[in-house]
Amino acid sequence: MYSSMPNHSLPLGGHGGEFQGPSDGTNLPGDACLVLTSDPKPRLRWTTELHERFVDAVTQLGGPDKATPKTIMRTMGVKGLTLYHLKSHLQKYRLGKQGNKEETDNLKEASCVAENQDMGSSMSTSSRMMAQDINDSYQVTEALRVQMEVQRRLHEQLEVQSCLQLRIEAQAKYLQSILEKACKALDDHTVASARLEAAGEELSKLAIKVNDCNGIMAVDPHVSEVSMLKEKKIANDHSFISNGCQVSPTVSNSQDAAPRKRPRPIFSNGDVVPLENSTRSMEWTMSNIG
Amino acid sequence: MKVPFSANNQSDQTVSSKPSNCTVNTTPNTNLQDVTTPTSSPYEPKSVLEIQGSPSPVADKKPASDTDNSIVLDDPFQLEDHVLSHQFDDLDSFMREFGLNDDSSPVSKPIYQHSINECFDTNSLQIGQTILARLNQTLRSPIGKPPQRAAFYFKEALQSLFTGLTQTTHPASTSEIIQTIKAQKTFSSISPIPMFSSFTANQALLEATDGCTHVQVIDFDIGLGGQWASFMKELASKADSRKMTPPVLRITAIVPEEYATESRLITENLTQFARELNIKFDIDFVSIRSFGYLSFRAIKFMDGEKIAVLLSPAIFQQIGTGFLNDLRHVPPHVVVHVHSEGQMGFGTSSYRQTVIGGLEFYTGLLESLETANVNDDGSDWMRRIETFVFFPKILKAMEAAGHQGPPWREALVAVGLRQVGPSHFSYLQAECLLRRMQVRGFHVAKHQEEMLLYWHDRLLFATSAWKY
Repeated sequence: MYSSMPNHSLPLGGHGGEFQGPSDGTNLPGDACLVLTSDPKPRLRWTTELHERFVDAVTQLGGPDKATPKTIMRTMGVKGLTLYHLKSHLQKYRLGKQGNKEETDNLKEASCVAENQDMGSSMSTSSRMMAQDINDSYQVTEALRVQMEVQRRLHEQLEVQSCLQLRIEAQAKYLQSILEKACKALDDHTVASARLEAAGEELSKLAIKVNDCNGIMAVDPHVSEVSMLKEKKIANDHSFISNGCQVSPTVSNSQDAAPRKRPRPIFSNGDVVPLENSTRSMEWTMSNIG
Repeated sequence: MKVPFSANNQSDQTVSSKPSNCTVNTTPNTNLQDVTTPTSSPYEPKSVLEIQGSPSPVADKKPASDTDNSIVLDDPFQLEDHVLSHQFDDLDSFMREFGLNDDSSPVSKPIYQHSINECFDTNSLQIGQTILARLNQTLRSPIGKPPQRAAFYFKEALQSLFTGLTQTTHPASTSEIIQTIKAQKTFSSISPIPMFSSFTANQALLEATDGCTHVQVIDFDIGLGGQWASFMKELASKADSRKMTPPVLRITAIVPEEYATESRLITENLTQFARELNIKFDIDFVSIRSFGYLSFRAIKFMDGEKIAVLLSPAIFQQIGTGFLNDLRHVPPHVVVHVHSEGQMGFGTSSYRQTVIGGLEFYTGLLESLETANVNDDGSDWMRRIETFVFFPKILKAMEAAGHQGPPWREALVAVGLRQVGPSHFSYLQAECLLRRMQVRGFHVAKHQEEMLLYWHDRLLFATSAWKY
């Protein structure tokens, strides 16, 4: 498929030499030569000069659509160039031309294209080639400019979107956290008052019990009850203090657990009130009821 | 004084076309059809109005012609209740016109207006209260279409005014605050309005204070403080991208009295936010009353600070525009104002414009909410938003409606400020926000140096930035 000298890089004739990789020397004078890569599987490298010759031949033949690989091969007269090379290159060239043409249409540069075609028919090869190249580069520049503009706008939009995203998230997060804190404050308050109610109920139960069993009480159940109450009260005290509101448990005889604003430690030192002195607790409950 | 009542006796024959429109409303409406019950509450107001429409019977009592009304309009600006009702007199004929012209609006609007007229025509609070009681029967609950609901809330506000409830502000309980936060949250998630206000204002502030090392913001309507969360986030990310330290931020919030719980919550949360972002932050609260007395002397200033002022209609409603004269002593680097065209609680020529403008504005607002889709719990989200987000504002607007003075725009110009337009970025961001929220019917525009938010063709909000 390829040239029979795979490992040699051969200079392209006519423009001097271009050596790539190990050169074994054979420098074919005059005629065009191919440059091959030094890969294990040699592939043709389309150098600028080769491409120029190709474009030249194509335009000579009347444009990429009219030219065929066979005719191009004959026109170019480059040794070692096969139909396969030319087929693929021509296809790419055609597509490239088409893309460029579309862009020029978009940019409303139809006149340029027309000019190009006129030039293609009336001028010599080299000037045609030059004009076409200039046109190509102009189209490319335009295309690049348009693309850059599009990219800039896209970038701007992305920036705006990401910025907006950050802000929305920040505000949502803030609202969420303030809600949580407010709920927590409310919960603390309600928990405290709930505990308050429960404690009050316990107290009233205790008071009733105390009243019922006038001094004849089993110590244990009441001690346990009292200690339970005591724990609750201490916990309540803590939560009250942390809430900053001073609430004392009330005996909710009337089931009205409205906290009164009298700061009163229930069990002053936190020790278990020895219930052997039932009168003391009775006094306490009595005073609380009062 | 008994004109309304006496007129009622003649009410039977003055059944206008209006009652026939009243089929859409709540149950009391059915009474309207029933001519034979002269004591039915919603019926009387209408009839009175019809009577008042004809010049003769009540000419002695109040002016029925427009020329007279204009005289009343220029009445001296006294805030005593009975004089206020003088001002309300002109409201009567205008509202009548409004009600008559605006046939397309749902029914209770005319009812409401007629009743308002009746309140105000009688120079007596007592009768006003009775009439309000009747009004209450008409606008019993905030159901129905947006205008009706808007009317309901205005009625409620009026009622509070009459009963003097608003004189004693009480601190909001924690559960009320929670409701407010939840409502605000829902509102933010379904409508672009709160975020439009926050972000356009923030953008203007950010652009003006870009590169400053010390920034103090004087916020006249901090609400829950959410706006500053995104402001700080933006400051931090900008500083990050430039490998600089973010500026030191101080906020002074002018708040209503009895704002202790909210202030505590705001302080806690904003401080925490700032800490997470490594921003040096401080926040102060000044009550509106103190600010009213001391103006900007009530605020602590530090050297090297760039001052930014964030205004809102609420402050003008409360203390007028006089304090703007002191601005030149501050002087602020930028003044940003988010205002709504309908909320002309201050600087309007009369009470009527407050109510009319307010009704229109809130009708539009409520309509815009209806198109939003909410995947939240139940259908009471709307009610919650109305109660906790809109109603307090309506209340404030009604309170302030008697005040007079130059409109804020003129006042700002008078102190030497000139407007600067919003940046392209701000505009793109507003557009992006609308696209994101996917609520149809809104659009933004940049017009005459302001960022505008429209709901269909009704202008809802506008943000403007001013500099010296």
